[in-house]
Amino acid sequence: MTTKEEILILDPGNAFGLERRTNPFINDNMTLIDQYDLDKTDLSSIQALIIPEFVDQRFLAIHKGLIEQFLNDEKLIVFCGHLYIDWLPGASHFIPKTINHHSDYALTIIKDQGIFAGVDPDDMTYNKGVSGFFARGHHPIPTDAEVLVTLPNNEPVTYIDRNTTKGTILAHAGKDLIWYYKQNKTTDRISEQLLQWIHSEINALHQGSKNI
Amino acid sequence: MRKIAVIMSGNAPHNRTFNEPKFNKYITQLIYFPEFEQTVLEEFDVLLFPSQLNEKLLMRAANKVRSFANNGGIVVAFGPQPWEWLPNQKWEERETNFWWWLEKGAKSGLVLAAPHYDLFNYLTLTDATWHQHGVFWPPNGAEKLITTEDGGAVMYVDKVSTKGTLIITTLDPDYHFGAYFMPATERFLDGFIPWLAEGKI
Repeated sequence: MTTKEEILILDPGNAFGLERRTNPFINDNMTLIDQYDLDKTDLSSIQALIIPEFVDQRFLAIHKGLIEQFLNDEKLIVFCGHLYIDWLPGASHFIPKTINHHSDYALTIIKDQGIFAGVDPDDMTYNKGVSGFFARGHHPIPTDAEVLVTLPNNEPVTYIDRNTTKGTILAHAGKDLIWYYKQNKTTDRISEQLLQWIHSEINALHQGSKNI
Repeated sequence: MRKIAVIMSGNAPHNRTFNEPKFNKYITQLIYFPEFEQTVLEEFDVLLFPSQLNEKLLMRAANKVRSFANNGGIVVAFGPQPWEWLPNQKWEERETNFWWWLEKGAKSGLVLAAPHYDLFNYLTLTDATWHQHGVFWPPNGAEKLITTEDGGAVMYVDKVSTKGTLIITTLDPDYHFGAYFMPATERFLDGFIPWLAEGKI
């Protein structure tokens, strides 16, 4: 069983992230560290790294070798946000969706991988009848990546890449999946189910048979 | 035209907003926040601090920001400020009114407190209306430009706390435009940035 000390989540130190420092779900299940401490942290026992949308991507680009090595040690990275600079292996920069109608933000779950099990796509697309909170664009996928969620023209919002490195990358072109909770919608399932997926993916990586 | 430097967090929204050509053309330099301490500020008239900056770097920057203002500089800050790094900062966190506009007979709760101010030749109250994360309570002598109905400052100009000028707002257009969300925030920046560069402050 992976311990909470073996799952790191970066803290960009921004105002919106303040609540995470005292949030029970975060503190009971993972370890929050200042983003600028990443390169000073001993990652040898760390199994998963969760990188949130407000992260300093220039800092990650400076340390892209560290990121790549971490993955090639058969470990896991979850990134949510809009990639604009090269630091995540295999990933392309964010492309915003051109919007003509609110339905242009409508999401489809192609494959839930447990993370989106039982989640109503309308709950992802709409918040109090307003669309666009979940994702407003996509990252073009690396070869053979597994697409979980798409926008209406099959733009891949969420994908899993088990081929570019020896580890696993989950990339999501939207808001932090670990922070979907307490909205009284089926999307509340996402944070807990993502955590479960992280545990099972780490196990699969240890067994040398990445989850299919 | 004033020389404006913008502090960059390295996050994706800041990258989009301040590299957008129609805003970037008014900006002399983008300063990566981790390099702020080593940056010479003498040539700049304005330092713009967008929302969601790193706490530790803000606290480390506080004295340099105060010195810049005391040399006659203009300091601008966007967004909620849970850490006290601005001179005479009195921030009150409030529940964000994300959904006011879905209610019947909706009112945003915003008041145009200084309609004579030159900023409002560049933008309207509607352009500054999306939601608020809280208010400031500025010192006596500061001028509130936009307030809530109970008089809390959503935007104010403070020429008394330093020898320069502080322009402080709870609004966070840099984040929303940079995250491809909320059209009013683009209209706000369309007016605010040119005013900052060449308007009467």
